[in-house]
Amino acid sequence: MNIAIFFGTETGNAEMLAEDIATELEDQHETSVANLADTAPDALLTEGLNVIVCSSYDDGDFPASAKPFVEKVQAAKPDLTGVRFAIFGLGDSEYADTYGFGSMKVAELLVAHGAEALGDRPVHDAAGDALPEDMALPWLEEIIGGLDA
Amino acid sequence: MSAKIAIVGAGPSGCYTAQALLKRAPDLEVDILDAQPVPYGLVRYGVAADHQGTKGVARQFARVFTRQNAHFIGNLRVGRDVSMEELRGAYDAVVLAAGLSADRPLGIPGDDLPGVIGSGALTRALYEHPEAQALPELGEAPVVIGTGNVAIDILRLLAKTPEELKGSDLGPVPTDWLAARKIRRITVVGRSTAGAAKFSPVMVKELGELSQVDLRLPGCAQDAGEALQAAVAASAGPLPIEFRFQSRPVALEQADGALRLTVETPQGVEQIAATSVISAIGFTSDGALDRGALLQEVEAGTGRLYATGWFRNGSVGAIPQCREEGQRLAQQILDEITPDPARPGRALFADRSDVVDFDHWLQLDARELAAATDQRCRQKIHLREELLRPANLQDA
Ligand SMILES: Cc1cc2nc3c(=O)[nH]c(=O)nc-3n(C[C@H](O)[C@H](O)[C@H](O)COP(=O)(O)OP(=O)(O)OC[C@H]3O[C@@H](n4cnc5c(N)ncnc54)[C@H](O)[C@@H]3O)c2cc1C
Ligand SMILES: Cc1cc2nc3c(=O)[nH]c(=O)nc-3n(C[C@H](O)[C@H](O)[C@H](O)COP(=O)(O)O)c2cc1C
Repeated sequence: MNIAIFFGTETGNAEMLAEDIATELEDQHETSVANLADTAPDALLTEGLNVIVCSSYDDGDFPASAKPFVEKVQAAKPDLTGVRFAIFGLGDSEYADTYGFGSMKVAELLVAHGAEALGDRPVHDAAGDALPEDMALPWLEEIIGGLDA
Repeated sequence: MSAKIAIVGAGPSGCYTAQALLKRAPDLEVDILDAQPVPYGLVRYGVAADHQGTKGVARQFARVFTRQNAHFIGNLRVGRDVSMEELRGAYDAVVLAAGLSADRPLGIPGDDLPGVIGSGALTRALYEHPEAQALPELGEAPVVIGTGNVAIDILRLLAKTPEELKGSDLGPVPTDWLAARKIRRITVVGRSTAGAAKFSPVMVKELGELSQVDLRLPGCAQDAGEALQAAVAASAGPLPIEFRFQSRPVALEQADGALRLTVETPQGVEQIAATSVISAIGFTSDGALDRGALLQEVEAGTGRLYATGWFRNGSVGAIPQCREEGQRLAQQILDEITPDPARPGRALFADRSDVVDFDHWLQLDARELAAATDQRCRQKIHLREELLRPANLQDA
């Protein structure tokens, strides 16, 4: 399957996780990794799966590298029907009121333009002990398993 | 043939630059030198003990050494243990990412009186930097000068209860020091208007949510942003923290066994009594490297010499900016570098027995994590001798 992995980041944690996901999947799938900052809405795959890893900043805002993508979607209002995506958030539960809002807003934006969200949207807690890849890899495996079946 | 690059400073700027270099050119020999026996610069010794999430970038930096094969050469101060000339002779390129650690002086009469402490010195003491001075006596009414995020960090730490410090890596000595403090009020003095203050809104919001804090704004701060106004309205604890904007410090003097700060305001000259003064107005060079001359050479662009981060820009920019600048710089270096196999690279340090490598840090790290109490996520090793030769390191 074609799996396009995108990340939205400020300090690079989301990029590292995106690369870990690609490394895990590349034996069995065609994978690519791209920064949302360099991604046009029409780069989202309509065949295969899009995986998005995105952090949160400043009172529940998008991280800097997701903003250009968000603005492009808002401006071009693309029809994303047929785009399937799984999204994983990075956040910090110390920001309790806006925990994981960056990834939530990206998901809402894509769904509002017709894309289909697969699975739930886990959020890794930077203030917790779990490693993001230990959460994300099993989560994604299950989503991909559902698609293959 | 792979080029050899020395990066001076293992803080965010140095680590992100190495990460980006090795991502683009995995065969480079990248060595990151640091004056301290441990890596990560201000991620370990500046980012607040209660902001562990922000320190999460250290996982990325660790991979620069463990997976991307950068070498850590710790406990080596460039300018003292090795000269810039030696370093530049040994490597195809040298990147200055040494940060800025000295507190910028207030530059007013009395700024060196006892009872005046810089934010860098104070945070190094709080976060157990190997070169930290002892924690100071702040008394009942400290005054903080500066309204950036570092000032807010200090206010937050000073105001937190032991309960609110759970999960941090604040050490036992600073924890006891905080518990024994006698502070009854804090005054924060800034030159700018409230609206132009440098702190970020989320930092003020977080401060206003603490159980002890009662943020206060005198009437003249009409242009205060929403976050500050909301925090002032929301905070209702027993510890008053008063913000005084548009107040330019002009003099400090000793009076009645305490300090008296004179400020100029649009309403005229005012005096503020202080039992201690914490200056949080930015950082400057510690003098170990001749920063001015080196930056001139960097600008000239002829000497295989580069600079990045706080060392280059002054103490502005947070961790995300270090990353962006490191990525741009890596590309520039790769465009310009010409390897010369005659340059020895890290062989320059072959005879030094006093430097430490990344494995040494991994053992310290494991030890610090294992020593943490249930209130803490880590217990830092403080003393340089312990960091260099921890007892029974092999048992860790
Ligand atoms: C108190 C404080 C709190 C902060 N909190 C945050 C925060 O929460 N979030 C955020 O994004 N940013 C924060 N910042 C800003 C952030 O720390 C800086 O943007 C960043 O650390 C700058 O990175 P740097 O690598 O340029 O410098 P540094 O992190 O200072 O690293 C420089 C390194 O060089 C080494 N060095 C210095 N001189 C020599 C020498 N002569 N030879 C060898 N090595 C040398 C030092 O030991 C150090 O390890 C904070 C800053 C401070 C001061
Ligand atoms: C200033 C700042 C604001 C943040 N705001 C939020 C937030 O509102 N919600 C949240 O869940 N996480 C928040 N975070 C946590 C980050 O999303 C988290 O540290 C993440 O791992 C960063 O990933 P990145 O390196 O990919 O940007 C914030 C972090 C910082 C430094």
